Amino acid sequence: MTSLDYQRLGNFTYAVITLVGDDGFPFSVSTDFKILPDKKIVLQKPVLPTKLDGKRVNVLFNHITGLPGGGYGERRYMLVWGTTHEEHGTLRFEPKSLSEWDEKILPFDQYCAKSAPQGAKYLGTLQASVEA
Amino acid sequence: MPLLPFYLPDSGKFVVTSSILFSKKAENVKKNPKVSLLFSNPEGSHAGKHAVLVQGIAHADDTDLDHGWEKYLSFWRKKEPYIDAYLAEREKFGWFWKRIVLHVEPKKIIAWKNGDTSRTPEEFGA
Repeated sequence: MTSLDYQRLGNFTYAVITLVGDDGFPFSVSTDFKILPDKKIVLQKPVLPTKLDGKRVNVLFNHITGLPGGGYGERRYMLVWGTTHEEHGTLRFEPKSLSEWDEKILPFDQYCAKSAPQGAKYLGTLQASVEA
Repeated sequence: MPLLPFYLPDSGKFVVTSSILFSKKAENVKKNPKVSLLFSNPEGSHAGKHAVLVQGIAHADDTDLDHGWEKYLSFWRKKEPYIDAYLAEREKFGWFWKRIVLHVEPKKIIAWKNGDTSRTPEEFGA
Protein backbone atom coordinates (compact mmCIF):
# COMPACT_ATOMS: atom_id res chain seq x y z
CA MET A 1 0.00 0.00 0.00
CA THR A 2 0.93 3.65 -0.30
CA SER A 3 2.94 4.42 2.80
CA LEU A 4 0.80 5.46 5.74
CA ASP A 5 2.29 8.46 7.51
CA TYR A 6 1.54 7.69 11.15
CA GLN A 7 2.73 11.10 12.31
CA ARG A 8 0.20 12.88 10.13
CA LEU A 9 -2.43 10.27 10.99
CA GLY A 10 -1.92 11.13 14.65
CA ASN A 11 -2.94 14.73 13.97
CA PHE A 12 -6.52 13.72 13.29
CA THR A 13 -8.89 13.83 16.23
CA TYR A 14 -11.45 11.19 15.33
CA ALA A 15 -12.18 8.38 12.90
CA VAL A 16 -15.22 7.22 10.95
CA ILE A 17 -15.63 3.49 10.49
CA THR A 18 -17.68 2.36 7.48
CA LEU A 19 -18.79 -1.17 6.78
CA VAL A 20 -21.53 -2.76 4.72
CA GLY A 21 -24.41 -3.83 6.95
CA ASP A 22 -26.51 -6.95 6.63
CA ASP A 23 -29.14 -4.90 4.75
CA GLY A 24 -26.58 -3.94 2.12
CA PHE A 25 -26.42 -0.29 3.16
CA PRO A 26 -23.13 1.28 4.20
CA PHE A 27 -23.10 1.92 7.95
CA SER A 28 -20.80 4.69 9.16
CA VAL A 29 -20.07 5.64 12.72
CA SER A 30 -17.55 8.01 14.27
CA THR A 31 -15.28 6.99 17.08
CA ASP A 32 -12.05 7.85 18.87
CA PHE A 33 -8.74 6.25 18.07
CA LYS A 34 -5.16 6.13 19.22
CA ILE A 35 -1.87 5.04 17.71
CA LEU A 36 0.31 2.90 19.93
CA PRO A 37 4.12 3.23 19.95
CA ASP A 38 4.38 0.07 17.84
CA LYS A 39 2.17 1.78 15.20
CA LYS A 40 -0.90 -0.26 16.01
CA ILE A 41 -4.08 1.68 15.30
CA VAL A 42 -6.66 1.09 18.01
CA LEU A 43 -10.25 2.24 17.52
CA GLN A 44 -12.69 2.69 20.36
CA LYS A 45 -15.43 0.14 19.80
CA PRO A 46 -18.78 1.76 18.97
CA VAL A 47 -22.12 -0.01 19.28
CA LEU A 48 -22.63 -1.62 15.89
CA PRO A 49 -25.30 -3.85 14.38
CA THR A 50 -22.71 -6.39 13.29
CA LYS A 51 -19.55 -8.05 14.61
CA LEU A 52 -16.35 -6.40 13.47
CA ASP A 53 -13.83 -9.15 14.12
CA GLY A 54 -12.08 -9.87 10.84
CA LYS A 55 -14.37 -7.49 8.95
CA ARG A 56 -13.16 -5.48 5.98
CA VAL A 57 -13.94 -1.82 6.61
CA ASN A 58 -12.75 1.59 5.62
CA VAL A 59 -11.76 4.16 8.17
CA LEU A 60 -11.87 7.84 7.34
CA PHE A 61 -9.67 10.29 9.21
CA ASN A 62 -10.87 13.75 8.31
CA HIS A 63 -10.24 17.36 9.26
CA ILE A 64 -11.72 20.70 8.24
CA THR A 65 -11.42 24.08 9.88
CA GLY A 66 -14.42 26.39 9.63
CA LEU A 67 -13.52 29.80 8.21
CA PRO A 68 -14.95 33.00 9.75
CA GLY A 69 -16.57 34.06 6.47
CA GLY A 70 -17.96 30.61 5.74
CA GLY A 71 -16.47 27.57 4.09
CA TYR A 72 -13.55 25.47 5.19
CA GLY A 73 -9.78 25.49 5.31
CA GLU A 74 -7.03 23.09 6.31
CA ARG A 75 -8.89 20.32 4.50
CA ARG A 76 -7.27 16.96 4.77
CA TYR A 77 -8.30 13.33 4.94
CA MET A 78 -6.90 9.83 4.92
CA LEU A 79 -9.25 7.08 3.79
CA VAL A 80 -7.79 3.75 4.83
CA TRP A 81 -9.11 0.33 3.87
CA GLY A 82 -8.29 -2.57 6.12
CA THR A 83 -9.47 -5.16 8.59
CA THR A 84 -10.66 -4.78 12.15
CA HIS A 85 -9.87 -7.25 14.93
CA GLU A 86 -11.66 -7.22 18.27
CA GLU A 87 -9.09 -7.15 21.08
CA HIS A 88 -9.65 -6.38 24.76
CA GLY A 89 -12.89 -4.50 24.12
CA THR A 90 -11.35 -2.33 21.41
CA LEU A 91 -10.76 -2.67 17.69
CA ARG A 92 -7.28 -3.10 16.30
CA PHE A 93 -7.26 -1.78 12.76
CA GLU A 94 -4.93 -3.38 10.26
CA PRO A 95 -4.50 -0.99 7.29
CA LYS A 96 -4.22 -2.38 3.77
CA SER A 97 -4.66 0.49 1.31
CA LEU A 98 -4.90 4.24 1.44
CA SER A 99 -6.13 7.26 -0.46
CA GLU A 100 -5.56 10.73 0.91
CA TRP A 101 -5.48 14.45 0.31
CA ASP A 102 -4.04 17.30 2.31
CA GLU A 103 -4.41 20.69 0.70
CA LYS A 104 -1.29 21.94 2.47
CA ILE A 105 0.73 19.22 0.74
CA LEU A 106 -1.12 19.14 -2.59
CA PRO A 107 -2.85 22.44 -3.39
CA PHE A 108 -6.34 22.14 -4.82
CA ASP A 109 -5.45 23.02 -8.41
CA GLN A 110 -2.70 20.38 -8.40
CA TYR A 111 -5.12 17.88 -6.86
CA CYS A 112 -7.47 18.53 -9.77
CA ALA A 113 -4.66 18.04 -12.29
CA LYS A 114 -3.61 14.80 -10.59
CA SER A 115 -7.20 13.55 -10.79
CA ALA A 116 -7.52 14.14 -14.55
CA PRO A 117 -7.21 10.40 -15.38
CA GLN A 118 -10.37 9.68 -13.36
CA GLY A 119 -12.18 12.46 -15.23
CA ALA A 120 -11.04 11.07 -18.57
CA LYS A 121 -12.15 7.60 -17.53
CA TYR A 122 -15.62 8.86 -16.60
CA LEU A 123 -16.03 10.79 -19.85
CA GLY A 124 -14.84 7.73 -21.75
CA THR A 125 -17.50 5.59 -20.09
CA LEU A 126 -20.19 8.14 -20.98
CA GLN A 127 -19.00 8.28 -24.59
CA ALA A 128 -19.06 4.50 -24.82
CA SER A 129 -22.64 4.39 -23.51
CA VAL A 130 -23.72 6.99 -26.08
CA GLU A 131 -22.11 5.02 -28.90
CA ALA A 132 -23.54 1.69 -27.77
CA MET B 1 -15.29 10.40 1.53
CA PRO B 2 -15.75 13.94 2.83
CA LEU B 3 -18.62 15.55 0.90
CA LEU B 4 -20.64 18.76 0.76
CA PRO B 5 -24.29 17.64 0.76
CA PHE B 6 -27.31 19.91 0.33
CA TYR B 7 -30.73 19.17 1.81
CA LEU B 8 -33.71 19.95 -0.39
CA PRO B 9 -36.67 20.50 1.98
CA ASP B 10 -39.25 20.45 -0.83
CA SER B 11 -38.39 16.88 -1.85
CA GLY B 12 -36.86 15.62 1.39
CA LYS B 13 -33.84 14.48 -0.61
CA PHE B 14 -30.16 15.27 -0.30
CA VAL B 15 -28.03 16.33 -3.24
CA VAL B 16 -24.30 16.02 -3.72
CA THR B 17 -22.59 17.33 -6.82
CA SER B 18 -19.36 15.70 -7.84
CA SER B 19 -16.77 16.70 -10.40
CA ILE B 20 -15.88 14.03 -12.93
CA LEU B 21 -12.36 14.40 -11.50
CA PHE B 22 -13.63 12.82 -8.29
CA SER B 23 -16.26 10.58 -9.85
CA LYS B 24 -15.45 7.25 -8.25
CA LYS B 25 -18.46 7.68 -5.98
CA ALA B 26 -20.74 8.17 -9.00
CA GLU B 27 -19.33 5.03 -10.59
CA ASN B 28 -20.04 3.16 -7.37
CA VAL B 29 -23.60 4.51 -7.18
CA LYS B 30 -24.28 3.23 -10.69
CA LYS B 31 -23.18 -0.25 -9.57
CA ASN B 32 -24.95 -0.14 -6.20
CA PRO B 33 -27.34 2.70 -5.29
CA LYS B 34 -27.35 1.98 -1.55
CA VAL B 35 -25.45 4.81 0.16
CA SER B 36 -25.09 6.56 3.48
CA LEU B 37 -24.32 10.11 4.51
CA LEU B 38 -22.84 10.65 7.97
CA PHE B 39 -23.12 14.05 9.65
CA SER B 40 -20.74 13.79 12.58
CA ASN B 41 -18.27 16.66 12.44
CA PRO B 42 -19.77 19.75 14.12
CA GLU B 43 -17.57 21.98 11.94
CA GLY B 44 -19.43 20.79 8.88
CA SER B 45 -22.74 19.37 10.08
CA HIS B 46 -23.82 22.31 12.26
CA ALA B 47 -25.73 19.69 14.27
CA GLY B 48 -23.88 20.32 17.50
CA LYS B 49 -22.38 17.21 19.02
CA HIS B 50 -25.12 14.99 17.63
CA ALA B 51 -24.26 12.47 14.92
CA VAL B 52 -26.74 11.50 12.23
CA LEU B 53 -26.46 8.79 9.61
CA VAL B 54 -28.77 8.91 6.60
CA GLN B 55 -29.06 5.70 4.62
CA GLY B 56 -30.75 5.97 1.27
CA ILE B 57 -30.98 5.23 -2.41
CA ALA B 58 -28.85 7.34 -4.71
CA HIS B 59 -29.25 8.21 -8.35
CA ALA B 60 -26.44 9.65 -10.46
CA ASP B 61 -27.56 12.19 -13.06
CA ASP B 62 -24.85 12.95 -15.61
CA THR B 63 -27.09 14.02 -18.47
CA ASP B 64 -25.88 17.63 -18.32
CA LEU B 65 -22.42 17.78 -16.79
CA ASP B 66 -21.92 21.43 -17.72
CA HIS B 67 -25.13 22.93 -16.37
CA GLY B 68 -27.19 20.32 -14.50
CA TRP B 69 -25.55 21.17 -11.17
CA GLU B 70 -25.98 24.94 -11.47
CA LYS B 71 -29.45 24.89 -9.93
CA TYR B 72 -27.77 23.93 -6.63
CA LEU B 73 -25.23 26.73 -6.72
CA SER B 74 -27.18 28.83 -4.24
CA PHE B 75 -26.98 25.99 -1.68
CA TRP B 76 -23.26 25.60 -2.38
CA ARG B 77 -22.58 29.34 -2.08
CA LYS B 78 -24.11 29.37 1.41
CA LYS B 79 -21.71 26.69 2.59
CA GLU B 80 -18.63 27.81 0.65
CA PRO B 81 -18.89 31.50 -0.26
CA TYR B 82 -15.48 31.44 -1.97
CA ILE B 83 -16.80 29.09 -4.63
CA ASP B 84 -17.53 32.14 -6.78
CA ALA B 85 -13.81 32.80 -7.06
CA TYR B 86 -13.36 29.34 -8.59
CA LEU B 87 -16.40 29.86 -10.77
CA ALA B 88 -14.83 33.05 -12.12
CA GLU B 89 -11.97 30.86 -13.34
CA ARG B 90 -14.27 28.30 -14.89
CA GLU B 91 -12.00 27.76 -17.88
CA LYS B 92 -8.92 27.18 -15.70
CA PHE B 93 -10.75 24.55 -13.65
CA GLY B 94 -12.55 23.17 -16.68
CA TRP B 95 -13.15 19.55 -15.65
CA PHE B 96 -13.84 20.53 -12.04
CA TRP B 97 -16.96 22.19 -13.39
CA LYS B 98 -18.13 19.13 -15.25
CA ARG B 99 -20.30 17.82 -12.45
CA ILE B 100 -22.52 14.86 -11.79
CA VAL B 101 -25.62 15.39 -9.63
CA LEU B 102 -26.23 12.67 -7.06
CA HIS B 103 -29.71 12.60 -5.52
CA VAL B 104 -30.14 10.65 -2.29
CA GLU B 105 -33.61 9.58 -1.17
CA PRO B 106 -33.46 8.82 2.58
CA LYS B 107 -34.77 5.43 3.70
CA LYS B 108 -33.54 5.23 7.27
CA ILE B 109 -32.07 7.76 9.70
CA ILE B 110 -29.90 6.70 12.61
CA ALA B 111 -29.00 9.22 15.30
CA TRP B 112 -26.58 9.27 18.21
CA LYS B 113 -27.53 11.86 20.82
CA ASN B 114 -24.49 13.98 21.74
CA GLY B 115 -22.49 11.85 19.31
CA ASP B 116 -22.17 9.10 21.90
CA THR B 117 -21.56 6.08 19.69
CA SER B 118 -20.96 3.83 22.69
CA ARG B 119 -24.75 3.78 23.12
CA THR B 120 -27.37 2.22 20.87
CA PRO B 121 -28.60 4.87 18.43
CA GLU B 122 -32.19 5.87 17.70
CA GLU B 123 -33.59 4.78 14.34
CA PHE B 124 -36.25 6.45 12.22
CA GLY B 125 -37.89 5.12 9.07
CA ALA B 126 -37.41 1.67 7.63
